[in-house]
Amino acid sequence: MKQSILVTAALLLWTGRGVAQDATFAASVDKNPVGLGDQFTLSLTLTNAGMGGGKNLQLPDLVKYHIMSGPNQSTSMQFINGAVSSSVTYSYVLQPMEIGRFTIGPASIEAGGKVYKTTPIAFEVVKGSAKPQQKRTVPADLSSQIGDNLFLRATVDKSHVIQGEQINLTFKLYTRISVANYGIERNPSMTGFWSEDVEIPKNTPVSTETVNGKQFRVGVVRRMALFPTQSGTLEISPMEVQTTVQVQSRSVDPFDAFFRDPFGQTVKHKVRSEPVKIKVDPLPSGAPSEFKGAIGRFTMRTTVDKSTAKTNEPISLKVSIAGTGNIKVLESPEVELPKDFEQYSPKVTDNINRLEDKISGTKTFEYLLIPRYPGQRIIKPVRFVYFDLAKRGYVSLESPQIELKVEQGAASVAPLVVGTSREDVRMLSQDIRFIKVANVGLSRSGEELHSSGMFIVLLLLPLAGFVGAFVYSRQRQAEMLDEAGFRNRRAMRIARKGLKHAEQLMKTKGANTATQRLEFYAEISRALYKYLGDKVGIQQADMSIDAAVTELGKCSVDSDLSAALRSLLEWCEMARFTPTSFGASAMRQAYDNAKKLIVELERTLKAR
Amino acid sequence: MKLNVFVIGLLVCGASALHAQSPQQVFEQANQLYQQDKFAEARRAYESLVRNGYVGGELFYNLGNAYYRSGDVARAVLSYERALRLIPNDDDLRHNLLLANLMIADKIEPTPRLFVWDYWDSIKQAMSLQGITWLAYVFFVLAIGSGVVVILSRTYRTRRVAFSTGIATALVHVFLLVVIVARVSDLSRKDTAIVITSITTVKNSPDEKGSDAFVLHAGVKVQITDRLKEWIEIRLADGKVGWMESSAAESI
Repeated sequence: MKQSILVTAALLLWTGRGVAQDATFAASVDKNPVGLGDQFTLSLTLTNAGMGGGKNLQLPDLVKYHIMSGPNQSTSMQFINGAVSSSVTYSYVLQPMEIGRFTIGPASIEAGGKVYKTTPIAFEVVKGSAKPQQKRTVPADLSSQIGDNLFLRATVDKSHVIQGEQINLTFKLYTRISVANYGIERNPSMTGFWSEDVEIPKNTPVSTETVNGKQFRVGVVRRMALFPTQSGTLEISPMEVQTTVQVQSRSVDPFDAFFRDPFGQTVKHKVRSEPVKIKVDPLPSGAPSEFKGAIGRFTMRTTVDKSTAKTNEPISLKVSIAGTGNIKVLESPEVELPKDFEQYSPKVTDNINRLEDKISGTKTFEYLLIPRYPGQRIIKPVRFVYFDLAKRGYVSLESPQIELKVEQGAASVAPLVVGTSREDVRMLSQDIRFIKVANVGLSRSGEELHSSGMFIVLLLLPLAGFVGAFVYSRQRQAEMLDEAGFRNRRAMRIARKGLKHAEQLMKTKGANTATQRLEFYAEISRALYKYLGDKVGIQQADMSIDAAVTELGKCSVDSDLSAALRSLLEWCEMARFTPTSFGASAMRQAYDNAKKLIVELERTLKAR
Repeated sequence: MKLNVFVIGLLVCGASALHAQSPQQVFEQANQLYQQDKFAEARRAYESLVRNGYVGGELFYNLGNAYYRSGDVARAVLSYERALRLIPNDDDLRHNLLLANLMIADKIEPTPRLFVWDYWDSIKQAMSLQGITWLAYVFFVLAIGSGVVVILSRTYRTRRVAFSTGIATALVHVFLLVVIVARVSDLSRKDTAIVITSITTVKNSPDEKGSDAFVLHAGVKVQITDRLKEWIEIRLADGKVGWMESSAAESI
C-alpha cells in the first residue's frame, strides 16, 4: 500500500518531465568471500525503471545455494534538485552449499520494454565463517557450532501432482546436538492449498539419518496433508522453528568439560526450512456437471429412515460419502426432491481420520424432509462425481432411486387453506348441499333434444306448411296474372249459360209477351257479346259489332262467319226495338243461329 | 316388437347385472347408498352410469358430492364442472363447486376479461339446453307462421303486421340458434381440464428434464392449449403457461 502511494506520488511528479533517465540493473552481495553455512544476501537493484517497475525477473542459477528467504522487495525514492530517482531492490538470503569459487550469473529484468542484465559476480565460498557476525546474540563460535548441526527440512512425498491430489509435507528437525525444546515460531503459508495437520503419534521414535556423511538424529516437527486447490507452480513458504539448544564451549579441555555443567550452555536458535515448490497439473477436462471438486476415491450411500410416512411427519435422508481424498472440502451432492416436500439445508457432519498417510473419513449430509401431500413420491437417484486419482478419470456414483409412500396424516386441513378471505372462511364452515333425488334427466350423450328424430320432424312440419302455403299462393298469383287466358277459358261456359237462360225464356208458357221477347233477344245478344269479348279480349265498354268483326278478322275467322254473326247481332238489335214484329219461329231461329255460331266460332278459334 | 324388447332385455341381463336395471333405477340405488353414508359404493354406482354413456347434470352433481364425501376434492371439482355444462344455473351446484374450489391448495386469481364475455356467458347459461331448444322452436314456428300469413293475406295491413312480426321472431330465432350452437360446442369441448394428481410439476418444455416452471396441486382448472405426445401445454386462469404430463389432468 505504501509502495503504491509512493509510486502514485512519483507518477504525479514524473509527469511534465519528459526526460526519462536510463534504467540500470545491478547485482551485489553483502559479503565476499563467505563461509560455508553462513548466510549472505544477494541484492538485485533496479534503478530508474520508471512507471510500472520491472517485470519478469529472471534469477541467476542458484542451485548451489539454499534460498533462505526472498525475494524481499524494497523500494526507495530520492528527489535531488527536482530530479527523481527511484530504485527497487530484490534481495535473497542465500546459504552456500559448497566450498569453492563461483560466479553468480547474470540476472535479467524487463523494464520499459527493455531487458536489463546484471554483470556476473565472482564469488568465493570458504570453509568456516569468514568473519564473525557482530549482531548475533549467540557467541560466534557457538553459532558456527550449531550452524551445520541443526537444521529444519521440509520434505514432500511428491512434487508433481494433479490438482486435488494429496501431498504429505513433513517438517523434520535434523540435529547432531541436543535440543532441549522447540516451538513453531512462524507457520508456513499455504497459499493455493487446503491443508490438514496430520497427527504425529506421541511415541514416534527418533530416527537417525545420514546427511552429507554425518549422522543426524531426526525428529518430526510437523506433518501436514496438502491438497492443492489451484494449478500451476505453488510454493510452500518456509517454516520457522525456535529451538533451545545446549552447546559447549569450543576449546574443549576434557577435564574442563567434565567439571562444567554437564548440560552445557543453553542458547536460543532459530531454524528455518527452505521453501518447497510444487508443480500442480490441472484436472483433465471433460468433468461432468455434477463434479464439485472431490478428488480421491469414495463410496456413497443414501438412506432414508422410513419409506412410509404420514403427511407432516419428518423423514431423514442421509447421504454419506466415505473414502480417501479431500473429504473435508466435499460439497453436498445435489438431491432432487419432490416439489411438495418441505426441505431444509442439510446438516453436515464429518469424521476425518488424520492418523494415516492418506486422509480418509466420512462426510454425511442429512436432509430433513417434510411431506405435505399424500401420494407415492420418488427421490431421484443422487449423483456424486469424483476424480479418481488411481484411474486418472472421473467416476460417477449413483444411488438407487428411493421410493416413499406418503399417507394422509391426521391433521392436514390447516395448511391447505392459505390466503383465503373472510368470506371464504365463512364459506368453509358450510357443508356441501345434498344430492338431487328428484326430477332427474338422464340421457346418453348424443341423445339430446336438438338431435333427436322427433325434434327434426317437428322442425320440418312448419317448414312443410310454409312451402305448401308458398306454392299455393304462387299458383293463385299466376292465375290472376293470366287474365286473358282465364277469360278465354270461361268464355264458352258463360256463353252457354246465357243461351240456356235464353232458351228457358223461349220455352216458358206465355212466352210471347213483349217483355219476355225483349229479354230473350237481350240475353242472346249479351251472351254473344260476352263470348266475343272474352274470346278475343275486348273490354265491355269498347264492344261494338264492328269492333268484334274487326277482331275476328284479325284472328283469321272467315268473312261468311263474320257476316252471319253481324246479321244475327243486327237482327237481335232490331228485335229489341220492335219486339212485336218477331214471332216465336223467329225466336227459335235466332236461338239456333246463335248456338251454331258460337260452336262454329269456338272451333275456328281453337284451331288457330 | 314385444319379442324384440324381450330379446334385448335378455342380452342386457347377460352382459351385466347392473345393466338389467334401468338407468333410473341405478341412479336411485346410488342415491340410497349415498344417504346411507356409503359414499364409495354410491360413487361406483354413479360412475357405472357415466361409463355406460349416460350424462346428466344431476348425475354429475351427485357424483361430485360422492367424491367430495370420499375426500377426493379434485374429482369432485371435475364432476361439478361437468355438471355445470349441463345445468349451469343450478344453485346447489354453484354452491358446492365454490366450496370444493376453496379446498384446493392453489389459489389462482383469474386475469380480468372483457365484461361483454360475462354478459354472453350469463345469457348463454340462462336456461337449460333443452329449454333453449324449445324456445328456439317456438320462435321458429312463429317466424314461419308470420311468413305464411304474409304470403296468404289479401289485405295490405295484415301483411305489414305479419311481416314485421316475422322479421322480429326470425331474428330472435337466429340468436337462439347461435346460443344453442355455442352451448353444444361447449358440451363437446375437451380443452379444459382439472389436475387430478395431488401434485404436479409444470415444466417449461415438454420434457422430463425441462426446467420447472411452477407446481400445481390437485383440483386446479387448466386450459389445454397444445398437445405433444404425453404432454399438454396448459394455461392457468392467471395467464401462467407451462407443460405437464397429460395423465396428471383429466379433461372436463
